[in-house]
Amino acid sequence: MDTVTITINGRQVDVPPGTTVLNAARQAGIDIPTLCHFPSLIPIGACRLCLVEVKGQRNPQPACTFPVTQGMEVQTDTPRLYEMRKFILSMLFSERNHFCPYCELSGSCELQDLGYRFGLDHFLFETYTKPFPLDASHRHLVIDHNRCVLCARCIRACSEIAANHTLGLGNRGAATLISCDADAPWGESTCVSCGTCAQVCPTGAIIDRRSSYMGRNRQLDRVASACNRCSVVCAMKVAVRGGRVVRIESDWEAPVNGGLLCERGRFEPLHDERERVTEPMIRREGRLMAATWDDALEAAAEKLRGAGGADLGVAVSGDATNEALYTAAKLFREDLGASYLGLLNRNVPKLSGRSGTLADLATSDLVIVVGVDLMKEMPVAAYLSKRAVDKGARLIVVDDGDNGLAPFASLTVPTSDIASAVAAAAAAGRPVVLHGGVTGETAEALKKIADKASFIAMQPGVNAFAATALGFSGDGRAAGTKVLYMILGEQTVGQVIPGPFTIVQAAFRSPAVEGADIVLPSAIWSERAGSLTSTDGRILKADKAVEPAGSAKADWEILALLAQKMGKKSLSFDETSQAALIEIKGKERA
Amino acid sequence: MAKVKIATDWLAGCAGCHMSFLDIDERIVKLLESVEFTSSPITDLKHPPEEGVTVGILEGAICNSHNVEVAKRMRERCQILIAVGDCAVFGGVPAMRNLCGTQEALKRAYLETESVVDGVIPDSPELGTPLPMVTGIDKVVKVDLFIPGCPPRADAFYYALTELLAGRTPVVLPPELFTYD
Repeated sequence: MDTVTITINGRQVDVPPGTTVLNAARQAGIDIPTLCHFPSLIPIGACRLCLVEVKGQRNPQPACTFPVTQGMEVQTDTPRLYEMRKFILSMLFSERNHFCPYCELSGSCELQDLGYRFGLDHFLFETYTKPFPLDASHRHLVIDHNRCVLCARCIRACSEIAANHTLGLGNRGAATLISCDADAPWGESTCVSCGTCAQVCPTGAIIDRRSSYMGRNRQLDRVASACNRCSVVCAMKVAVRGGRVVRIESDWEAPVNGGLLCERGRFEPLHDERERVTEPMIRREGRLMAATWDDALEAAAEKLRGAGGADLGVAVSGDATNEALYTAAKLFREDLGASYLGLLNRNVPKLSGRSGTLADLATSDLVIVVGVDLMKEMPVAAYLSKRAVDKGARLIVVDDGDNGLAPFASLTVPTSDIASAVAAAAAAGRPVVLHGGVTGETAEALKKIADKASFIAMQPGVNAFAATALGFSGDGRAAGTKVLYMILGEQTVGQVIPGPFTIVQAAFRSPAVEGADIVLPSAIWSERAGSLTSTDGRILKADKAVEPAGSAKADWEILALLAQKMGKKSLSFDETSQAALIEIKGKERA
Repeated sequence: MAKVKIATDWLAGCAGCHMSFLDIDERIVKLLESVEFTSSPITDLKHPPEEGVTVGILEGAICNSHNVEVAKRMRERCQILIAVGDCAVFGGVPAMRNLCGTQEALKRAYLETESVVDGVIPDSPELGTPLPMVTGIDKVVKVDLFIPGCPPRADAFYYALTELLAGRTPVVLPPELFTYD
């Protein structure tokens, strides 16, 4: 039987077997109030607000957990249910401190919304006045237990989405509290600061320090963006108010990271206090002096006209957008014939084998992580691997030193023992290999499972996949060039390369900027539109969320203006995006 | 037709609800065609008349014995009692005191505050006695209509009074005027 037919409020609804009453109702456009329910989490029927009457059942049943059966008759909106829900809601309001006027979440609180919906214009019961603790020991998050409704969404997000299992319940009855590692201060717990709990909390119980009280939800604009902190490239939404980024949230609809981000993606960009390059500069008499865009571009163009071929090199950082990489490749390689196109980050050559995507982790039964510490370098990939472990997959870490995933692995072996990992993978059904740079011997050993396993090269450079596809393959040392064009983006590690005349496109002050001959200020991730290609080949687009600092411009735009200055053809943003996509995807297929 | 008499008074509140009421602006002129404001804390006549009024409006929470007296007097002298604002409805900001306890709050305010020199907790017999719990006024008197909000929107006041004048009780606030903050 493909579908089950039930009636909800007298209306016939056809749904697949196993569907819950709540999802069946929602599919039919029938609204049932919920509080503990969250679409991305497994329902637990904790709050009882979704109670419905099911014919033949003695008591009302929670719609979120109750599966449909053929011929089931459900009522979702009877006077009895209304009174029950109002009663439950009044009990919730009376349990803790749910005064709205001094709560961060007022205006976007699900408890408040329900209060309005059920017309709770006064307390039916005495309010509970015992103060509950507030834990502000975490560097990014605060939990105020007085605002908590014990829906356990945070606990479920911590387990099901981040696979971290830090949050749980402590105590019993009305004294129940969300607890970290069975009663550790949050800041000293095993929390990895992914922030998912704050994003799912329906009330003001879990809030983040940075964005709290910076604006009501209705005052914030949301802009789609893509994280440029590592090559996983998570889809995210940026909350903006008054030209400033207030908060970064995960995009629930994103195919790979849906709901998930890591500390580096969610919190660190908001604390970036490095000094910006805000205006173009030209070195005159040994000192960098402010210049207009026109003068700086003209000076750069003049220098580039005189160079060319073997004398000219270009080096890009990993966070350059697809558009910038494409424009740079076109200008420097095709138009100017540059001898050197390098990537400042090490490039991990892809091992021979079936190309996989990070989505494969969801269905994998064995994960091999080799030559990379995902916990440090690509946390979201590490969380996805841990999630696979929670679903029953085996995790094998191949590493000669400490590896952040080792505590969660069923087997940790040194690289000399790669054979045992390969043997286990050969016996598995759907193995996935996440690899960094590996030695020839390791690569050779992994060839045995090349037909069977999904291989994903975990690039240390954010957009290294696209950079490699577009021909930036040099190792970062531009030997012998007389003019070097560096696209540093947000990187500040670049050291001064002695010798060549350097034109640097950078967002932040760094030794490379101080040593440059011409400096062009570039916009950071939130200030530009652009797309990035993840380490497994997904292309994610970011929109511009705020205005650039000073007179900074998007990385691709600077290159396009430079091309114009040199009398070369330049494309619009959309044309560049499209051309880059075709080239990157084309290279991937080949 | 005789004008409908309305009296207002305040308890443990900040006067913000009265200010918000005045934000009905020129509509008050229209309102005065059919109502008479007999007394309020911001007029010369402070207390509701003994002969009674039709509508009594109370702002502020029940926080001490004086608040109880004022609330009971208003209840005795009016036919329809409206609790306006989060303090009168839920306890509001004054009810934050409940989380530490009355004695602790008094001690902190009058003895331990950094700027205090030789502090004493006021205990003049002319002052109301602080209660152990701050509550909304419905814990002391029967309330006929609750208008939450901090403060309630001016439109909510105007809406409630025009509904009552039109003879519609109970008043059901429309969603856009029903707010907790």
